[in-house]
Amino acid sequence: MSTTTLHPAAADYLRRLRRAGRRLPRSRLKELVQEVEAHLTEAIPPGASDADALTVLDRLGEPDEIVEAEQPQPVSVQTTRGVHEWAAIFLLLFGGFVFGFGWVAGLILLWSSRAWTNRDKWIGTLLIPGGLAATIYVGLFAVGTTAQSCSGGLGLRENCTGGFSPGASVISILVLAILILTPIATSIYLARRAQ
Amino acid sequence: MVAMRDAAISQLRRGVLEFCVLALLRDAERYGFELVRALGEADGLVTSEGTLYPLLGRLRREGVVETTWRESVEGPPRRYYRLTPHGEALLDAFVVEWERFRDSVDALLETGAVK
Repeated sequence: MSTTTLHPAAADYLRRLRRAGRRLPRSRLKELVQEVEAHLTEAIPPGASDADALTVLDRLGEPDEIVEAEQPQPVSVQTTRGVHEWAAIFLLLFGGFVFGFGWVAGLILLWSSRAWTNRDKWIGTLLIPGGLAATIYVGLFAVGTTAQSCSGGLGLRENCTGGFSPGASVISILVLAILILTPIATSIYLARRAQ
Repeated sequence: MVAMRDAAISQLRRGVLEFCVLALLRDAERYGFELVRALGEADGLVTSEGTLYPLLGRLRREGVVETTWRESVEGPPRRYYRLTPHGEALLDAFVVEWERFRDSVDALLETGAVK
């Protein structure tokens, strides 16, 4: 089916439904969009006024509501925040300090928990691999490779090589701040999302 | 208090809605839009018509209804729903239970006594 013959408001509604349903299995979303598109085609005939189209959309409800009705309800206590989930969050943040193994253990706990959606798990995995330890290693590496060395002194003209230029220093501090704050923000996000 | 009432009514709706779908299919098959419009027009039964499509999908996956796509002269193909034998049995059992439930609740609400 094509959305080209749909009223613009209906086409926009379908776009919002697709966006809201990104977390659904692909086949379910496709089917849902197909059904709602058939509904809109039937309920809003060609030439319908904007007011009529909006009335139909109003009766349908918000795309988020439809997607929510599509998702299975949490069914067991295993899906609540428990020791498993807190351990995953802690290890993802600090586990990298234990030669990286702790972070991998956190990753296993993250993916084996039912408290998060796949989207949450990908966020926990990718932001940032290694957690805070990765930030420290990156910071130490940056300092090591840009360390300033000087020769001369005591009446001689001092020659320095390496080191940060003022512009590069600001950028480095910003990058470091982002690297520190991102895993912390991810941990807060995971703690809030665990249902 | 209002939130508690709304939650209770929402749960009640959720509990009976699927059987209302089955009841609409008792005598004839219907296509999705037709079902959704019929339920949407029943007073106080549905707040958002769109949420019925996930319900129809679930009933189909549970084998309570089965569907067939058919061409339509008026527009895109339509998905027709009809009851399976399992759906018919569920509906019959619900009707018996609902009558008992309704009579007991009505009696309590009207007289404050158990019937």
